[in-house]
Amino acid sequence: MSVPNMHHDMNQIEEQLKNALRRQDAPPDFTEQVLARVAEHNSIPQVQHHSWRSFFTQPLVRRAAITATAASLALGGIHYRNVRRERAKGEAAKQQLMLALRIAGSKLQLAKAKINEINATTN
Amino acid sequence: MAESALADHPPDTGTGFADLVRRHQSMVFSIALHFLTDRSAAEELAQDVFLELHANLPTLKSEDHVRFWLHKVTAHRCIDYKRRRRLPQVSLEDVAEPSAPAPAGDPIFERKLRHVIASLPEKARLIMILRYQEDLGPKDIAEVLSVPVATVKSYLQRSLALLREKLSRSIGEVTI
Repeated sequence: MSVPNMHHDMNQIEEQLKNALRRQDAPPDFTEQVLARVAEHNSIPQVQHHSWRSFFTQPLVRRAAITATAASLALGGIHYRNVRRERAKGEAAKQQLMLALRIAGSKLQLAKAKINEINATTN
Repeated sequence: MAESALADHPPDTGTGFADLVRRHQSMVFSIALHFLTDRSAAEELAQDVFLELHANLPTLKSEDHVRFWLHKVTAHRCIDYKRRRRLPQVSLEDVAEPSAPAPAGDPIFERKLRHVIASLPEKARLIMILRYQEDLGPKDIAEVLSVPVATVKSYLQRSLALLREKLSRSIGEVTI
């Protein structure tokens, strides 16, 4: 191995160190690769998430969203009340029908008993 | 001067950031290369550092601040990378020659020197790289690595002594 100077003093070593550790060029497409990675990193979920969040922070959109939520809650409440009322009506009608059938049944039993009694007396 | 560099090229714009990368890529890549002695690992690490820089741009106020931040983050990422991957000690005989020709000195001797530097302990190696690649003084190195100035000076002295010893041992008859 050839060595440039046989008697290196401290300054010479430091100079050699500076030469040995001088900056190297990064690969030619380095900047483009970094920019591509930044674009890739920025493109996916964070941006969409951010845009949704920023969309709902707009006052008009926020007010519209609150109004829409309140209206759908009110409509839901009205619909639920109507359903309950209809169901109660149906239940009452069913009870009346059952009562009517029971009455008709007992009348039928009574008529049958009368007929049997008449048949027995004539025979 | 440093502040106007960012003012002329706002880093939050694409071109501003690209310029910033171009201005500092050789510095970041070289610190990583001299520390890791592996070109592809150094490239990957340098890209990670710039990705992190992009995320932290709003907090950086000037070109000097960017340079300091890059020194600090690159140094810490180098140590993290080495600890995470537990890279084997690679002989610098296997490392590609620099793309730029050596301005002076014997390339074989310089290669030998890099080989010896690569064999130094992690912190000592980083201090040598920041001192001789980046031409930082002990005070600046201490700030970058968050260690006392006395520690940096002690590492530098010990590393130089170790270098002289290793070189004289490997070169044999040559007195350094």
